[in-house]
Order: sequence, then structure tokens, then C-alpha cells
Amino acid sequence: MRLLVVEDEPDLLRGLARALRDEGYAVDTAEDGEDGLFKAESVNYDAIVLDVMLPRLDGWEVLRRLRAKKKTPVLLLTARDRSADRVRGLDTGADDYLVKPFDLPELLARLRALIRRSAREVRSVIEIGDVTVDIAARIVSQMKKSVVLTAREYALVEYLALHRGEVVTRTALYEHLFDESDDTLSNLLDVHVSNVRKKLGHDFIVTRRGHGYSIEA
Amino acid sequence: MMRFPRSIRWRLQLWYGALLVAVLGGFGFTAFHLERARQFRRIDEGLQQRLSVLVDALRGGPERGPERKPVIDVRLAPAQAALFGDATGFYFAIWMQGKVPIAGSLNAPAGVPKPDNRGAVLRMRGDFRESFLFAAPVNCVLVGRSIATEQADLHTLAAALAAVGAAVLAAGLIGGWWMVARAIRPIDEISGTAARIAAGDLSQRIGTADTDSELGRLAGVLNSTFSRLETSFAQQARFTADAAHELRTPVAVMLTQTQSALARERPAAEYRETLEACQRATQRMRRLIESLLELARLDAGQEPMRLGECDLSKIAADCIELVRPLAAARGIQIQANLAAASCRGDSERLAQVATNLLSNAIDYNRDGGELHVSTKRSNGTATLIVSNTGPGILDQDLPLIFERFHRADRARSGGHSGLGLAIAKAIVQAHGGTIKAESGLEKMTTFSVNVPA
Repeated sequence: MRLLVVEDEPDLLRGLARALRDEGYAVDTAEDGEDGLFKAESVNYDAIVLDVMLPRLDGWEVLRRLRAKKKTPVLLLTARDRSADRVRGLDTGADDYLVKPFDLPELLARLRALIRRSAREVRSVIEIGDVTVDIAARIVSQMKKSVVLTAREYALVEYLALHRGEVVTRTALYEHLFDESDDTLSNLLDVHVSNVRKKLGHDFIVTRRGHGYSIEA
Repeated sequence: MMRFPRSIRWRLQLWYGALLVAVLGGFGFTAFHLERARQFRRIDEGLQQRLSVLVDALRGGPERGPERKPVIDVRLAPAQAALFGDATGFYFAIWMQGKVPIAGSLNAPAGVPKPDNRGAVLRMRGDFRESFLFAAPVNCVLVGRSIATEQADLHTLAAALAAVGAAVLAAGLIGGWWMVARAIRPIDEISGTAARIAAGDLSQRIGTADTDSELGRLAGVLNSTFSRLETSFAQQARFTADAAHELRTPVAVMLTQTQSALARERPAAEYRETLEACQRATQRMRRLIESLLELARLDAGQEPMRLGECDLSKIAADCIELVRPLAAARGIQIQANLAAASCRGDSERLAQVATNLLSNAIDYNRDGGELHVSTKRSNGTATLIVSNTGPGILDQDLPLIFERFHRADRARSGGHSGLGLAIAKAIVQAHGGTIKAESGLEKMTTFSVNVPA
């Protein structure tokens, strides 16, 4: 899962990015509205955390312009807690709204819910054959026994599980699993796929030659 | 409002009723007595006239002479006799030395007592009014008349007067009640509005239809007071909301940083980073809290200016040295033109103002820009002018930049709390001076401070 965090307070931005990377997300960052809008328009993020008070272009405007082009889930982050502001945020096209200061676990839970909803998944536990993916607990288990995966491997399984039954292209996987600081020309993806197959069985991930990968529903 | 007898309405009504009773009573009493006196005068005139006719008749002609024993002859001429009798109601009685009348008219009531008081000439005896004279040739002559009819008339008059008076009093009280109600209705409205305002609805206003009456003017004064209260409450509420808002971001930094740091074991360098971020957030909160307290003290007038002789040019020179490294770091040229500008002021506080203006002029300047500082004294005023070549301030923002927490770009910019200019303004105003800003986009932005010498 790849996220964009747009926040002008550098310490908050760094803290958020670290917390999200710890959770296995690929995280891009932007410190002002213009940069944030540019990134949001050029990459298909799984969700965007957007501060309202931003230099150059405020969060409302970023959201308004982004909504003209994309449906990426947006969680607004703001220090204003008047109900009128919340209504405005949701009406402008925000998918959720969190008032500063917030608790990290709540932010993470809301992001998970946002991503799940955008994949039209209602429950947080996905079952594929004898494999279970618990998105809330970030645990993959097989035959009721949990399987140890690295953060990247888990992210790969989760993304494919959320899009099970579809063919996911290598480009899409690169876009959603790696952030702007990763070298996307490497064969890192093949390594992760191979490791997941070793742990969950070779047939868990099917290779569609020339198209990409998929997990059968 | 209706509590008796404290309410204005009841007290007015009581006074009004008492006054009405006094006036009506006075009029009625006077009218009754004038009428009574007129009746008695008429009766008494009739009695006197008949008495003299009777006395003249008794004395007879002058030919009888005083030397002869008087002959009592009470026969009256017909014209004189017509004055008495049942037709007129008048009667007479005549006494010699004895107690029993020697003569009297037929209609005289039985047993008319002989008057004995030589001084008086009139008396009331029951319903009879009598006039008498002790005169020769007889001992006493009395003329009388029943005045029962007149008495009855007077009683009727008194009753009529009382009835009319009572009716007028009742009408007056009702009318008075209505008028008082009308007069104090605005008071009810004013107190109702004030009560709703006290309950927290500051948008309430008193409806003022007539603005010229005393109560209308009072309502006008109250309304403008309410407006000022509402404005100042709104300002206070916005200030509190802004202050809370400014504190939210550093708290969010600390929460996020600490929660993510504690979520798992980390290398020492990451803990250090977390602590540094928390320290920056804490410092920011400390600056904000100090600024808020300073403003509160300035507002409350608890921060007296230690006024003394000082020179704006010296203050400006010191402050320029203080900020020179900041300017140098961004390649900003400082051009100073400092003429002596002595004034009465608190040099520490004025230095705070100058430092604030200078650091703003650096922070909002473009890299490699210019910063002009000048001081001068003219017309008893010391002036400090700070200009920079920053992007300028929009016209719509100019009146607002001294407002608390106003920032042209509503997003945070550097370490500014958004209170610096508000504090500078409060300090300058405490000196009895003025501070103002001029700007246009792409022009020089100029702040000038005037302090009376």
C-alpha cells in the first residue's frame, strides 16, 4: 500500500511517515499544497493524508482540484474542530476527517478502513483457500497457523488479496508497494513474490505472463 | 414586575389614585358648600325681608308717638299677610315679656320656643330656619320657615356629586392603569431582552420603535452596549479558538512522535530524533504560552511601561546587530539611516518591538533582498521605520495584520506564533504611540512606529 502524506510541519511529517512505514506502507511526503497536488495527481496512491493548513495551496484547494481527476481516498488532518469545518471537509470530497492532536492508533485504523472501503471490502479478514489475511492485525495465517512475513511481503499479499480475482500488473505493484525513495528498476518485486510462494505455497500467487500476478478468489 | 407594592406600576397607580381622590374630593366639597351657602343666603334674605316688614307693621304709624303707651296691633295689611302662610311656607310669632307668644301666623309650628340669645339674629331649629329681633314695641319678633325641601335637595346634590366623583375616579384609575402599562411596556421589553442576553443569547436587541422618547434613548444606549459586548465576546471566543488551534499542532507532533517511537524498539539515533522533535514542539508551545501571557498582561494593564529617556536610534542600532546574522544567512542587505530620535519610553519594550519588526522583515523578505531601517524625530514624535523587499501584504490583509493570530498565509510560517505584531501594537499603544503598515504587492512593505517624545 502506498500513501501520500501532505503536512507542512516537518516534525509531524517525519513522525507520521516513520509510523506509517513501520506499518509496512510505502510513504511519499510533500510539505506544501502544490507539491502534494502534483504527487497526488501523478501517482495512484491507496490513500492520502492531507493537512488543511498548507502553504502555497491549502488542503481544501488541493482536495477540490484532486477530486476533479481522481477518487483516491483522502483523510483530512486539521487543527480546526468546528462542525462547519468537518462538514466542509466531507462535502469537498474528503473520505474521513481527523482533528489534531490525534492518536496514532486511531489514524492507522482509519487509514486501514479507508483502504479497505476503496477496495469494496467490508470485513477486515479475507479468506483465500486455507490462507487468512487479517488486515487489522496485519497477520497472515495458513491452516490457523500464522506465517511470518516481512513488511514488504505482507504488503504484497495484502494488495493482491484486496484485488483477488484481478490481474495486478507489475507496474501497479511497483506503484503501490514502493515509495519514491525506492529504486523501482530493481528486481525486488520478483524476490518478494518468490519468498511469499516459499512460505504460502507456489500456487498462492499465479503469474500471468506478460500481464502480472493474481490471487484466485 | 407585578409585585405589590414594590412595582413601579403599583406605586404610580397608588400615587395617581391618591391625587385623583384629593382633587375630586376638593371639587365636590367646594361645590356642595357653595350650593349650600347660596341656598341659605336666599332663605335668610326672605326671612330678613319679612322680619323688617313685620316690625314696621307692628310699630304702626308715626302719629302714635313715643309718649303714648304703645298699642299692639298685629293685624297685617293683605299684601303683608300674603308674605306668610302655607303658600309661602313662612310663619311668624310675636312675644311680649312672657314665654308664650301673644300672636303668630296660623302655619307656625306648635310651641315655637322664644329665642333667648340677644346676640344672634338667626338660628336653626330642626328643619326650621328662623330669624328674630328683640325690638319695641313688642319684646321679640320671629320669622321662620321649614327648609326640609332645601335640605333634601342638598342631600340629593351630595349624593350626585359623590356618584359622579366615584365614576370619574374609577375611569381615572382604569385610564391611569392603561397609561402606566403603556409607559412601562418598553421597560418590560428591555428587561426581557436583557434577561435573554444574560442567558447567553448575545444577538438579542431591544426593538426601538420611537427613538426620541426617554426609554427609546435608553434602549438605543443599551443596544449599542450589547453590540460592543457581542463583538468583544466574539473576539475573545475567536482568540481562544485560535490559541487552542495553535497549540494543537505541537501537541500533535509530540503525540505522533512519541507514540510511533514507543511502538517498537529503535536505534538510539531514532530516539534522539524523536526527543529533538518533541523539544522543538515544546519550545514552540512555550513561546506561544509566553506570548499569550504577555498579551493578557498587556491587556489587563498589569505590565507597566518603565518610561524613561531613551533614543530610538540607539535601540534600533542594537537590534540590527542582534538580527544581522539572520539577515546574513539569507543574503539580505541591511541599510540603516539612524538619526537621533529621543523619546520617553521603556527601552526594553521598544527594543522588543524593533526586534519583532526586524525579524519579520527578514523572515518575510526574499533571499538577497533589502532591509531599510531609519529613525528620525519631528514635531515632538520619534519615528522608527522598517521596510523590506518581501512579497508584500495584500490590501485586504493590511487592516488585519495586527490582529491576534492573523497570518497573511494562514499556514504556519517559520517560528511565528502570529502574536508578534499584536504584542508590538499593544506595547506601542501603551506608550501612547501608533504603529502602522503600508504595502502593495511587489512594493516595499513598510512598518512605521511613532512614539511621543
